[in-house]
Amino acid sequence: MVALASPSRGASLWQRWRFHLSALVVIVPIVFTPAFFHENAFFDGKKGLGEREVGAIAVGPWSVRLAEFKLKEPDAEGRAGYAKEFALALCPACVDQVKAAYLRVGKPRNIRTMGALFSGTPYRQTAEMRIPDRTTADDELWLTLEGWDGTLHQATIPIRTASPLMAAWLEKAKR
Amino acid sequence: MSGTTVSRRSSGARLWFVVHGWLALPIWAFLFFVCLTGSIATVSQEIVWLASPAVRANAPGPDATLRGYDEVLAAVEQQQPGARVRFISRPVKSIFALNVRVTRPDGTSGALFVNPYTAVIQGEQGAFDFQQFVRALHGWLLLSGDNSRIGWYLVSALSIPLLGSLITGIVVYKRFWRVYLRPRLRVSKGRRVFWGDLHRLAGAWSIPFIAIMAVTAGWFLVRAILDDNHISISTAGVPPVVARGDVPVVAKGAPAPRITLGQAAEAVRAQLPDLEPTFVQFPSSAYDHISVGGRGAYPLLFETVDVNPYNGKVERTRRVSDRSALELVTGSMRPLHTGDFAGVWLKLVYLVFGLILTTLVFSGMMVWTRRTAIETVKLVRERKPARLGLEAAE
Repeated sequence: MVALASPSRGASLWQRWRFHLSALVVIVPIVFTPAFFHENAFFDGKKGLGEREVGAIAVGPWSVRLAEFKLKEPDAEGRAGYAKEFALALCPACVDQVKAAYLRVGKPRNIRTMGALFSGTPYRQTAEMRIPDRTTADDELWLTLEGWDGTLHQATIPIRTASPLMAAWLEKAKR
Repeated sequence: MSGTTVSRRSSGARLWFVVHGWLALPIWAFLFFVCLTGSIATVSQEIVWLASPAVRANAPGPDATLRGYDEVLAAVEQQQPGARVRFISRPVKSIFALNVRVTRPDGTSGALFVNPYTAVIQGEQGAFDFQQFVRALHGWLLLSGDNSRIGWYLVSALSIPLLGSLITGIVVYKRFWRVYLRPRLRVSKGRRVFWGDLHRLAGAWSIPFIAIMAVTAGWFLVRAILDDNHISISTAGVPPVVARGDVPVVAKGAPAPRITLGQAAEAVRAQLPDLEPTFVQFPSSAYDHISVGGRGAYPLLFETVDVNPYNGKVERTRRVSDRSALELVTGSMRPLHTGDFAGVWLKLVYLVFGLILTTLVFSGMMVWTRRTAIETVKLVRERKPARLGLEAAE
């Protein structure tokens, strides 16, 4: 028989409190409260158009502001492949003139393949642009604006300018 | 021998008792937190109503009539020039002001509280949205972005010990229905008896509620797994787009002709006469529909009608009858979990049972600290010699 040694102070604290340790889970919301409010403000456009603004881009008679919505690598979307989200704001003068905006990798072949349609309001709209498998970091994004009068105007943005993060991701994927 | 049978049977019951105790014990505080925040979330909208006059729909007089959607739009344009309305929600016969979501020319969005009788903007949602805060705290521990998945999994995984506790609880306490006939809560027989009685009483009375919570929360876990593996059970199909030919081409600078919301409402009424529209979602692009939705005959699910904003044609309806049996079941999970489908009275019922469940978790822990630990030691001691005996026989 081994005599029961009186447990050390640390051991008895452990015995006493081990089943209450899950209370520590409340630390998670406390720590992440600032991030929660930041995220809400971001989605309400109070932290800018997107996480990284690309700048003003002239498209025919109009201009837009373009931004990377989130500063992160393209998302895997299952069978649809990878996609990257961009945000766009129309210039104040062209809010009522532009019917739709589209974004894609490479030059659109025709009016049916202009890419991802931006959705939202003229002041802030987003599009999830699909990234074809053969895309390289040296490719360009084609932005198409369609006017209510039926006219089409286009502009190109090098991927390296639009999203250095995406360019780096493409280079990494290629290797 | 009868002696052995009795001891074996009681040992089996004791095993279930110990399993029941251990299922929730290591996570009791987490479960307690989720049950408590969930109970508050049930009535968070009503709490906001009590705290903030801006969200109330006070009629200026007894003969005041509700403004139409077009009047509301005009009033918002007048009070916040240039703001684009994205969404208007208005619960039927509600004590709540209209919730009008707008995006302004500077790119910021907000939710305006608009009086449905006067169309006056009474206030705007500030940075702290109590309702959303409590929901996020309860549902995913306030984690944001990609982290919110982790929080979602942590919370919804609690459905497993919850369901396990329910089943083992019934197994241990087979004659739980006795509590319905003769409830017993002994206050003066010491703490162990009190917490034990309370635990049995609260548990027996809330069996259906716990079952609903465990199953619906389990669905949240399953849904997250399906989503993360890009598996869809929806029969809704690809969202329709407005045909290119329907979108008018106008002279430069001329406004694009669109139907009014009144016309859209008329088209919806012609299509689904018994639908009570509770929200309108505005087109998010030139090729998108006006989407109107509300509850139909089956109150748990929303029915929606998509109207072409240029010619007023109804181009898609999504009714309860359009859904598959699986969708009816899974679609009912969230309203069953929140209790938000039959009015304030049901929310209050959910609040009461939510608080009972919270008490159940706490009393379970109290019972454990006074009993289960001893039972575990007994069970281990009892099984050890039995196993040794078995080995010796071999």
